[in-house]
Amino acid sequence: MRILIVEDEPKVASFIRRALEEESYAVDVCSDGIQGRDLASEVDYDLIILDLMLPGLPGIDALKAIRDAKVATPILILTARSKVDQRVKGLDAGADDYLTKPFAIEELLARTRALLRRASGDSTGLLQVDDLILNPTNHEVTRGGQRIDLTSKEYALLEYMMRNSGRVLTRPMIAEHVWDLDFDTFTNVIDVYISYLRNKIDRGYDRGLIHTVRGSGYTLKLTDA
Amino acid sequence: MPSPRANTSIRVRLTIWYGGGLALIMLLFATALYVVMARALEDQVDRSLEEAAVAASRSLEEHRFGPFLLLDDLAQAFPELALIDKFFQIFGPQGQVTLQSANIKTRNIPLSQTALQSSLQGQAVFETVRFHDEIPIRLLSYPVRHGQALVNILRVGTSLQPEKEMLARLVFVLLIGSPLAVVVSVLGGWFLAGRALRPVDDITLTAQRIAGGDLTQRIETTSKDEIGRLANTFNNMIGRLEASIRQIRQFSADASHELRTPLTITKGETELALRKPRSAEVYREALESNLEEIDRMSRIVEELMFLSRTDLGEVHVASDPVQLDTLVQEIHMQAMVLGKEQRISTTLGQVEPLRVSGDEWRLRELILNLVDNAVKYSLPRGTVELELTQYRGMARVTIRDHGIGMTPEEQRLIFDRFYRTDAARAHAQKGTGLGLSICKWIAEAHHGTIEVVSTFGQGSCFTITLPLLPAAAAS
Repeated sequence: MRILIVEDEPKVASFIRRALEEESYAVDVCSDGIQGRDLASEVDYDLIILDLMLPGLPGIDALKAIRDAKVATPILILTARSKVDQRVKGLDAGADDYLTKPFAIEELLARTRALLRRASGDSTGLLQVDDLILNPTNHEVTRGGQRIDLTSKEYALLEYMMRNSGRVLTRPMIAEHVWDLDFDTFTNVIDVYISYLRNKIDRGYDRGLIHTVRGSGYTLKLTDA
Repeated sequence: MPSPRANTSIRVRLTIWYGGGLALIMLLFATALYVVMARALEDQVDRSLEEAAVAASRSLEEHRFGPFLLLDDLAQAFPELALIDKFFQIFGPQGQVTLQSANIKTRNIPLSQTALQSSLQGQAVFETVRFHDEIPIRLLSYPVRHGQALVNILRVGTSLQPEKEMLARLVFVLLIGSPLAVVVSVLGGWFLAGRALRPVDDITLTAQRIAGGDLTQRIETTSKDEIGRLANTFNNMIGRLEASIRQIRQFSADASHELRTPLTITKGETELALRKPRSAEVYREALESNLEEIDRMSRIVEELMFLSRTDLGEVHVASDPVQLDTLVQEIHMQAMVLGKEQRISTTLGQVEPLRVSGDEWRLRELILNLVDNAVKYSLPRGTVELELTQYRGMARVTIRDHGIGMTPEEQRLIFDRFYRTDAARAHAQKGTGLGLSICKWIAEAHHGTIEVVSTFGQGSCFTITLPLLPAAAAS
């Protein structure tokens, strides 16, 4: 899952980024409203965290511009003001949720999970395909009750594939949602990570869940055959 | 227990005093009027009796009327007798009636002893007599003499009825008129007192609304009288109160807003560090970051407190002679150190020996702050120019850099509290947005000015102008 942080205070952006990365999210940071608005339209983010006090373009205007560009990505606004009208304005302009500064980091992470869950259309919080279960809250992955240990990147890849189970995911799509802007698309890193995941998820099971779609990419689903 | 006086409104008290005073005056006036009127009427009656008696007596003497006189002759001789309001009696020297006018026939009015005695001594005497319940009669007994001998006693009398009636009418008018006048006046007084005191009620209502927390309320007044002055004084007081409360609110709003960012960072870094066990290096970084933010918060609070004290006029600036050229040279040395890392050199232009009156420590803070900013916003290997010149009788310090510069919008707002340019926020994490506000205050506290001219992308030039110390004081 890939998240954009638009926040002009570098130290605030920095700790939010580190906290999200620790939760295996791919994170991009930008510090002004115009850049934030442009990135939000160019890249298919899964969540945008937007500060309302921004140089260049005020957060509320950036928010409107993003929604005007038909970007439906969930947006969490950060506001330094505890005033109700600011939050109401933000929510009315298209934000999905808000946090007032200072906030608890765990609350930020919980809201992030909630927004991602809502976007993928499930409400229980657990992601499940056949007997493979992924719990985004504590990052626990089990198959047939058996715990599977994953690295951060493997987990991020699996979460993305499970949230989009049944869909064919191209390599650019995977790169966009699992890796951040620094990712070099001319490597075979994705294929390498897919093979790591296959080793951990499918090896020793009759029914393989990760499938290669020739010429396109990969998909995670329970096949009938 | 409050005294009854405290519970009675000024309006009621004013009206009572006014009404009581007026009633007393009316009473005294009515009494005096009655007395004076009664006396005047009596005098008038007496005078007319006397005139009639004198005329009659002269005629008697002239005609040598004896003791036997015909009434018709008398009437002819004295046309006064035809008047209905007077009657005549002529007595003999022993007090026996010899003649009397027709209008007295039914009455027997004998001569009193007092009148007879007085007449024998040659003195006229006035008497008022009342027969039973009838109207009192005024009588004048007048001796008519021939040589030394008393020939006749002439008595002229008149009814006092018209006078009594007049006095009765006066009493009636006073009895009805006075209370009526008092009542009308009291009503008028009540109305006027209410009218005069209405602004006081307005003041009370406004004060109640203000006490309820609405400090924007003012008493509407256009008058210049006592109440108007009171209202104006009251309005001024509320104005000052509102201003200082707004200042306090602004202070707390600014403080809470500005402290929120460092608090967010401190909280976030700390919570992140505590999420799971980490290496000593990570803890160290978190603590360093927190320390930086704590320093920032201390600085914000300190500078805010300072500005808040300047607002309340609590900060006093010394007025010692300050040798500006020495100060500028010292700051130049410090600037060289400040710019060392970025290889920014500060050049010293013209420095004239100038003296100003002021607080050396604050002036140093002022110039150093601007030089520090100039170095901070210069590009690496840039230059900052520092100069001290005399211009139009003022000392002028200019600090010029060739750094990033400011937009016109930024120049307009740069001295506002907590205003930080986008560059300042990105560039200097340690800034509080209060430094230039403090600079402005210092310059103005020294009766000077501070100005900025800047071109975006080309650099800024700050100019401080301070009044020179007069030559006499400088020696």
